[in-house]
Amino acid sequence: MSQAAAIHPVLDPVLAPPFPQAALPVLRNPQLRKNVAHAIDVIQAKRARLVAEKTDWQELRAAASAIRTHALENLGAYLEEFETRCTAAGGTVHWAADADEARRIVLDLLREENASDVIKIKTMTSAEIQLNPHLEAAGVNVFETDLAEIILQLGEEEPSHIVVPALHINRSQVREIFARRMGLKDLSDDPKALTAAARTYLRQKFLSIPTAISGANFLIAETGGVSVVESEGNGRMCLTLPRTMITLAGIEKVLPRFKDLEVMLQVLARSATGERMNPYTSLWTGVTPGDGPQRFHVILLDNGRSSILSKPKQRQTLKCIRCAACMNACPVYRQTGGHAYGSVYPGPIGAILTPQLMEMHHAQSLPFASSLCGACYEVCPVKINIPEVLLELRSQVVNQERKDFGRFVDPMYMGLRIANLLFSRAWLFHTSQLLGRIGLGFFTRKDGWIHSLPSVGSKWTQTRDLRGLPKQTFHGWWAARGPQPSPMPSREAK
Amino acid sequence: MSAPAESRQRILDRIRAATQPVAKDASELADAYAALPRTYVRRGTLSEEACIELMIERLREYDAEVVECTVAELPVTIAAQLTASGKHTFVAPEGLPAEWLADGFDWKIDRNLATAEIELAEGVVTAASCGVADSGTIVLHHSPTEGRRVITLLPDWHLCILRASQVVETLPDYFDRCQRLPALATYISGPSATADIEMTRIKGVHGPRFLHVILVRDAIRFNDEH
Repeated sequence: MSQAAAIHPVLDPVLAPPFPQAALPVLRNPQLRKNVAHAIDVIQAKRARLVAEKTDWQELRAAASAIRTHALENLGAYLEEFETRCTAAGGTVHWAADADEARRIVLDLLREENASDVIKIKTMTSAEIQLNPHLEAAGVNVFETDLAEIILQLGEEEPSHIVVPALHINRSQVREIFARRMGLKDLSDDPKALTAAARTYLRQKFLSIPTAISGANFLIAETGGVSVVESEGNGRMCLTLPRTMITLAGIEKVLPRFKDLEVMLQVLARSATGERMNPYTSLWTGVTPGDGPQRFHVILLDNGRSSILSKPKQRQTLKCIRCAACMNACPVYRQTGGHAYGSVYPGPIGAILTPQLMEMHHAQSLPFASSLCGACYEVCPVKINIPEVLLELRSQVVNQERKDFGRFVDPMYMGLRIANLLFSRAWLFHTSQLLGRIGLGFFTRKDGWIHSLPSVGSKWTQTRDLRGLPKQTFHGWWAARGPQPSPMPSREAK
Repeated sequence: MSAPAESRQRILDRIRAATQPVAKDASELADAYAALPRTYVRRGTLSEEACIELMIERLREYDAEVVECTVAELPVTIAAQLTASGKHTFVAPEGLPAEWLADGFDWKIDRNLATAEIELAEGVVTAASCGVADSGTIVLHHSPTEGRRVITLLPDWHLCILRASQVVETLPDYFDRCQRLPALATYISGPSATADIEMTRIKGVHGPRFLHVILVRDAIRFNDEH
């Protein structure tokens, strides 16, 4: 069994262990870390080159951010406009308050179609509501068609990135999965051969399965149109050949006008894959007689989004266009990969989105899974100030914990309480400094360093030394220095 | 069933409550939208000639084969491309000009052809709606000369006829020229590709693997016909 397969991460925020614990398997797996770092280095370099050639990059970001903010501020009006236009064009719009309702709508539609099989375009929203396991449980065979999603599905792996979800799996691991699941013993590990195997594996399914499920990159209020952005052509297959298309989209995905795509498409491709434009962008509006699916359903999913919308500081989270630039830029993600985030949305955006989608009942460790370096904000094409939201969520987590009785046995909480007390009273501060100097003096070696401390202190000295306290404090030195001649001419001297 | 309607109302109510106080009427909303900053590059600055050169350069970066010809030379150029492809069976959209259907090949005119029949064809010949030079993008609006989406998807070889007058420099240039908004559109920027395995770019996953473009040097500048 491959090393990656040996770890089975949990991507359900309700069940996943806290971030520091979930990160350990990856930190101990050099192959996995190498795979992640390699993939990220490649995307980062391509993105940097294509962003640098764009002289109006900051202006595009400003426009993209303003369009998304405006769409969210007027979300109700634009969703209703989308619904009206889409319906007029022959589509059917459904509204799902939560994951459960969305899954029920999908299943009901599939029953109406008598569908035993369904082909899927990669959609993060369906992963968010764990659609595949529910469909499988109801007896529907689900076929993912994006190459990375096929690797994950056949290898029973979990996604670790929102644009290249199998980036933690290398070519020999893919070869092993395909050889085993497609029955191709002589398959080589050349990515070309692996891609060809996927093409062959899917071709007949595209041509024969009459029902498809997709996500949406953008919904366009003005026309009722839906846009899907992709590279492989599996999306075009799914949205052209079947009889029925079911599109699952978060309510935040709406853009006011068709022409807003001129901004969004430019920033999305460059940020996501480091291309001037992704190979295929498709746009369709309801049903077109004679061309493509003749039955079209859109499910608009809330699932916690309207609650995020109601909080002014956090609302910007919903501007996200799922380009993944933030995770590619993140020093924490680079080390831990995506599985540590315990959610289908990893990286900085996941660290703010997941706990909010859970209405702060789960995933409380995620806002702390960041060094607040700000790299995510700098690359974000829609200017989501992720560090600002992280800080806001951290304060909410701390406020929750304040109500929790268990804090009195938490050494960190108690330590901070004591520090608070000492720092707010000068005499206590000076006394504790004196006591600390005397106490630590016993452990300070001749070289001026403390190499080991007993009890709780050993947690520090296990992995690093501590500088012994100096003989004199700054306050002491300042007082001992006495009056000094001023280097600046004083007023009296004039 | 009453539940679905209830969910709709509940979600919209929550959204309205969350976005207070923004009770805009349609004209206020339009004004707020019009005030959004758009200081990015809207109009290209290249000469017509440089713009077409850029389009050709970008297409070639994508490994598309590009040939140029005059309007009069077009039928001959199409025939030469078809012959050079070594293929025989081609799909053509219903509105493709008759003089483009070169003799000596097996043409399947798409009057609602069955998918299986399109799958058997070796290539497809279509027109286009626009070319965006900056990103080397070919825009299809699936008009009668561009055909249904399926015909430019299944055949492995696509010959696309693009007129020089249809080439614009920037993406906003294209959107400005879309007077009537398309119900269907496909933007093609290079052949189908994936980088899902170790970020190695592999061409030709599901879409056509070979893209050929004939750039017709006509005189008229792009004016929106679609």
